[in-house]
Amino acid sequence: MHDSRIATRAWLRAQTRLARRGALPVVACGVASALAAVAAAWCAAAVLAQGLAGKGFAPLPLLGFAVAALVQAGFGLLSEQASFEAGAVARRRLRSDALARLLAAGPAMLRGSHSGTLTATVIDRIEAVDGLFGRYLPAAVLAMAGPAAVALVVLVLDPVAALILGVTGLLVPFAMALSGIGAALAARQQFAAMARLQARFLDRIKGIATIVLAGRAEAEAQTLGSAADELRRRTMRVLRVAFLSSAALDLAAAAALVLIALRYGSLMRDGTLADAETALFVLLLVPQFFAPLRSFAAAYQDRMHAIGAAEALIELPPLPPPPPVLEVRNVAAHGVTIDFEHVCLSWDPSRGRALDDVSFRVNAGETVILAGPSGSGKSSVIEILLGFIAPDSGRVTFNGADFATLVPAAQSRLTAWIGQRPVLFAGTLRENIRFARPEANDAAVEDAARFARIDGFADALPHGLDTLIGDGGFGLSGGQAQRIAIARAFLKDAPVLLLDEPTTHLDPTTEAEVFESLKRLTIGRTVILASHATAAHAFAGRRLDLRHGRIAASRGGA
Amino acid sequence: MKALLQIAWLWRCRAFWLVAGALISIAALATAVWMMTLSGALIAAAGVLTGAAALRVLGPARVVLRYAERLVSHDAMFRAIADLRVWFFRGLAHSSAGGLGFRRAGDVLSRLVNDIEALDGVYLRVALPLAGAVFLVPVLFWQIGKASLPLAFVVVALFAFAAFWLPWSAATLTLGAGERLAAAASALRVTVHDTLAGLREVRAFGAEGRQLATIQAREAALLAAQHDLATRAARAGALAFLCGQAALLALFAAIGLDPAIAAAAFLAVAAFEAVGGLPRAGVAAGHAAAAARRVLEAANGPPMLPDPDQPAAPPRGNALRFEGVHFRWQDDRAEVFSGLTLDIPSGNRIALLGPSGIGKSTLAALALKVAAPQSGRILLGGTDLATLDAAVVRARIGWLAQSTHLFADTIRANLLLARPDADDDALWAALAAARIADTVRALPEGLDTWVGEAGSGFSGGQGRRLVLARTLLSQAPILILDEPCAGLDAETERAFFTTLNESAAGRTIILIAHRLTGAERLDRIWRLSDGRASAAAG
Repeated sequence: MHDSRIATRAWLRAQTRLARRGALPVVACGVASALAAVAAAWCAAAVLAQGLAGKGFAPLPLLGFAVAALVQAGFGLLSEQASFEAGAVARRRLRSDALARLLAAGPAMLRGSHSGTLTATVIDRIEAVDGLFGRYLPAAVLAMAGPAAVALVVLVLDPVAALILGVTGLLVPFAMALSGIGAALAARQQFAAMARLQARFLDRIKGIATIVLAGRAEAEAQTLGSAADELRRRTMRVLRVAFLSSAALDLAAAAALVLIALRYGSLMRDGTLADAETALFVLLLVPQFFAPLRSFAAAYQDRMHAIGAAEALIELPPLPPPPPVLEVRNVAAHGVTIDFEHVCLSWDPSRGRALDDVSFRVNAGETVILAGPSGSGKSSVIEILLGFIAPDSGRVTFNGADFATLVPAAQSRLTAWIGQRPVLFAGTLRENIRFARPEANDAAVEDAARFARIDGFADALPHGLDTLIGDGGFGLSGGQAQRIAIARAFLKDAPVLLLDEPTTHLDPTTEAEVFESLKRLTIGRTVILASHATAAHAFAGRRLDLRHGRIAASRGGA
Repeated sequence: MKALLQIAWLWRCRAFWLVAGALISIAALATAVWMMTLSGALIAAAGVLTGAAALRVLGPARVVLRYAERLVSHDAMFRAIADLRVWFFRGLAHSSAGGLGFRRAGDVLSRLVNDIEALDGVYLRVALPLAGAVFLVPVLFWQIGKASLPLAFVVVALFAFAAFWLPWSAATLTLGAGERLAAAASALRVTVHDTLAGLREVRAFGAEGRQLATIQAREAALLAAQHDLATRAARAGALAFLCGQAALLALFAAIGLDPAIAAAAFLAVAAFEAVGGLPRAGVAAGHAAAAARRVLEAANGPPMLPDPDQPAAPPRGNALRFEGVHFRWQDDRAEVFSGLTLDIPSGNRIALLGPSGIGKSTLAALALKVAAPQSGRILLGGTDLATLDAAVVRARIGWLAQSTHLFADTIRANLLLARPDADDDALWAALAAARIADTVRALPEGLDTWVGEAGSGFSGGQGRRLVLARTLLSQAPILILDEPCAGLDAETERAFFTTLNESAAGRTIILIAHRLTGAERLDRIWRLSDGRASAAAG
């Protein structure tokens, strides 16, 4: 808890340093606008004093008042533009940083975190820090400079009034600090609740059919309702304290106004007030004195939002150091021999080893079938070869080069992969195939579609290969989705082909057809097929039996 | 705007809190205005003692009222927002029993969270200041009218312009911009979610750079839309400020006529300050109106199948019978069933065989009242499904589908979905029947182990078995198992069927499969082809 607070503070400090330049224009506009407001107050005081004294119309101060109003409005507009820009620059920077870290950490992230939570971090958490850069940082500077300048003007005119302003003004940060401590604690809890609620909504909405058919829609709606209610209670706990600091500000402003008004009232009654214009000017400056403090109080929420976001951002995995340049190898792109040497791996120490001292070799152009019950470590072998995770001990080599010394880009260039259930992106069929090789031309994509027999069902779709699929698009069957994965692998044309139970979710006819396409795909490649399907026997190749993360038997082949 | 009114109608049961917030808000505004008027009068009349005494009371009263206003109005709003969330989920559950269909899960989430949160500004930043503005119009007119009637007209016109016309025009102008903003935010969210959920694909195809570029392009579009809205808001705010200053200018110019106008000037300052945020709120209201429309559209989708007005009594028997059923999903699609007749006596175990796409899952959808046949009847215990409540039917039929969802929750919570009142013994029995009890027992947290997204943290086969355990736990007398062993190895599959034969004794089992292992104990085997079922040897 303490460490996380130190980390958050360090993060805030670092961000403040980075954002200082962006905040400068906002501060400059704010100062200019405040000066115009002081001028407007002076003009107004002059007009009022003259009017009250019965001297009638005062054209010059009136003109001054109008000009000052226009200047104030103009600088206000400029300030908002600058404030938006400062927030946008910071968000862009933070978001690309967060994404770079997530992409570098890779698929291993998904074992521990919900992709909905990660999406919320990248989108909502970073949106939430906007106010820190656009509003809070400039407001923090203006909250010091603005009141100080006004107090200085008042000091010259009436030291007693300046004293009243100073004392009431100092009450504000004092009350804020007092309530701020409680509010910061509450804000942390509130953000945890908000993230939980959001992840829960996404998950329940994804599984809404399961909930409805189990007849639990009403119960789940009530649970969601109480979760939302919990969020309300947490938020109110934050606000109850946060509003206390606004109340303190209201109180200070009212006290200053009433005290100064009473002072001049009694001076007038005694007849000792020398100059009505000064008195009015000072009175009109009171709101100007508190205005920057008010903006600061409003922006203080932004800082708390940012702190909540900071914790999620700090938790993201750090960027791995780039592999040392000298050791980056290039592996001959054709004819890859793969060696597993005493590889051990555990995903989670409490669940035992997923791979326990596994050694085997796959020669260039050979097909090896990994067999074994689910949970025996077949997928772990594949995930190591994809670079999703590194072995705890032992090593894997491609043509003798340690796989760990290859940069991720080189790792992925060498391998094509077909998993149990491909993720289809929101987009057209064509875009989903081209995902494997974006520079491929239409002819190559259509070749791949023909190879994977996609044309067979694509022709029946409303727009052929240009039909929208994926999250939100046309629903494809498991066999059709797997054909897209085959087309991707064909288009990628990598020397190593990794197949992780590619037909698990298919019926025998479709399975046989998919295996037929896969067999053609294996020609000339080094292939590792993880499968327990009997149809896998159709593949000519050596068979390795895995049991509890160990190789139990090796049969057939060379 | 119509959508906003509909949302407001949903909140009628929160009327007490919402109205209380508005009343306190007006009271706080009244003290503020009174205080400023008194201050002005104090100056104009060179110190009136009664006014000073009143000031001493009004100052603290205003502070307390402002605090109460903030608390009550925020609390009321959060209650209303929570209601809206639950209402949205219910609406969605009502309209999409067959799964999310053509809707994007990421998009729906974006709607739910962003759009519903966009609506919280409606009450706090639009409704409350508007109520205040309506209260201020007569006050301004009366106070200034005492000194000069034409002046009162000028000031009230400027006030009405800032408080009513500017927000209204800002809202209508923003409607389009707000739609663009929401579309941009949703597009960004879908891409980010696709990328993160598809991290395996992204890594395997070395697509990190490309995905990053796409995300940044969408982010740029979002920022442009936000910039557009921010600029509109800033302009509206500046205009409102100028209106206030113009009113003051008019009052100042007339001050020579009557010193009492000084008090009116102070009143005007307070009045314009109170509504200064309204034009900006108009921009937010335009945004909120667009959000409201999407929220309503998502939640008000047509229901899958309406329940009968006067449902028949739940039947006593559990025999399931399809009689000459004709069905197609859409008018332009081929018929899935053309005259399907199938008899499944209570307690029977049958298998339905056939290649994928032949309609095995459709049969389950019909039995579960997710869809209704175009002609023919489906009878449960001799009663037509069409005359029964869907809830009654679904309580009788447990369904294990390919798409059955494993929730990001504990193993216990996932199982209890099927039978909320089950005790631990029942949970363990179901886990044992699904051949996963030993794995769960070996976990340090046992039943309270957290299951990750879509069952990650467990292998595909293990996740499948957890879902299977949930189905077995349900007390439904009929179980439809759609490829229950997909993803399981042959050994586990055989072991599962052996257990199923014991644990589901007395229940009707409809096994949808593409092949049989030989371990199933079946009464009949049906083969689906050409939209009909025919008996197969078995």
